[in-house]
Amino acid sequence: MRKANPPGPPDRTLSEPTDTDGARVALTWTRREPAGRRAETPLRLPVGDDGLEGLLTLVALGDEQAFAELYRRVAAPVFGLVSKVVRNPAQAEEVAQEVFVELWRTASRFDPARGTARAWIMTCAHRRAVDRVRSAERAARRDDLAGRRDQGRPYDEVAEQVETSLEREHVRRSLDALTDLQREAVVLAYYGGYTHREIAELLGVPSGTVRTRLRDGLLRLRDHLGVGA
Amino acid sequence: MNAALHNLTGAYAAQALADTERVSFERHLDACPGCAQEVRELAETTARLGAAVATAPPPGLWDRVRAEALATGQVPPVTRRAGGGGRARQGRAVPALRFRPLLVAAAVLLVAVLSVTAVNLGVLGRSERTERTADLVAAVLAAPDARRVAAGPGGPGRASVVVSRGRGQAVFLASGLRPAPAGRTYQLWVVGRSGPRPAGLAEVAGGGRVARLLDGPVAGDEQVAMTVERRGGAARPTSEPVVVVDLRA
Repeated sequence: MRKANPPGPPDRTLSEPTDTDGARVALTWTRREPAGRRAETPLRLPVGDDGLEGLLTLVALGDEQAFAELYRRVAAPVFGLVSKVVRNPAQAEEVAQEVFVELWRTASRFDPARGTARAWIMTCAHRRAVDRVRSAERAARRDDLAGRRDQGRPYDEVAEQVETSLEREHVRRSLDALTDLQREAVVLAYYGGYTHREIAELLGVPSGTVRTRLRDGLLRLRDHLGVGA
Repeated sequence: MNAALHNLTGAYAAQALADTERVSFERHLDACPGCAQEVRELAETTARLGAAVATAPPPGLWDRVRAEALATGQVPPVTRRAGGGGRARQGRAVPALRFRPLLVAAAVLLVAVLSVTAVNLGVLGRSERTERTADLVAAVLAAPDARRVAAGPGGPGRASVVVSRGRGQAVFLASGLRPAPAGRTYQLWVVGRSGPRPAGLAEVAGGGRVARLLDGPVAGDEQVAMTVERRGGAARPTSEPVVVVDLRA
């Protein structure tokens, strides 16, 4: 039966959800290419249609191979982001594991109409990481915040760890395009896992000001990175 | 009020809101397409920020992820009718679902089952019977002792059997199954100590799905097999099984 399957590029054998009853359960798919072919898919996370949507759909159907492939493709971004926010390596590993189990468990919740698979995955990873630093380390971080306020701006130490590569360089240049105040707010919130109120406390400005900087900063980043949605 | 709320898109996308703020802003997002669109775009933006700090994970992580995932049930898709439905929350699952994955799976499968049985009973066209069959399938899936066993590797599509010893029944599930060749049909078998006995024909519905209550009692220590047979089925299997699910596994 497998021989009868039409050949196709890896990960492109998935058809779009059908609209017969308006339900997302009405997905059709055929078997994927054998593992040998799939290994040739580039290990990068390209911008745009990167096959993650299709993989997520298969994962939602309980496809372990698709899950392994999904892991292979997004493990580095997920682990990198979680590590950045959580900082403690052992905890980062724990959280990354939670993230992937969550992706496995809730893959069916992904809705392509509401954004790309990559954004969904990274949002899930970020959420888990932020939850971790806000619960377990909340008390410690309060002290940390009080300490940091006297030491000046903490975001540099976070920002300087953003290393170089093409994507990193692009993002870094985009971050450079922000005003210092916007960049500070974005870096503290996203990489630091701080709430807007914590940032306000840290910087000694009203939280409304932080919210505005976050929004203006991310909007400018969006434009600079050419993000569409 | 709205100006202040619109201003929260950035903090929301960066997940810099406290839980209570996040919940109330999500309520706003339901009613404000402009903010919802902006949040979508900013989420794509922050995903880029995340990808920019990619780091190779430790080599042992995948094994642990895989082991835990395979022991974890999956949440079924949300069935949304046109124009209806709330929006999905960022990275939030519905916590209640984890307790009874099979029960909620039943809800999804009802859709598949209804279409399968609609084919099965097409001639009769009695919706009561369709519903009744769906109920029986759902009852097995939702049984407190329901156990799901996946088929061995290599077969077509993905197949599994959910068995309830308490009910003495089992349901054969598959997805991604191609329709049987012309003039032929998939037939299910329960293979016990005395050999295979016919357990019904498996009609392939949309999406290559099958959700079929196996005919006759199933104790839970058998194997379930699927073969390709002439239309109408056979009394004994005439070909090698294309799928085998070993309930003893």
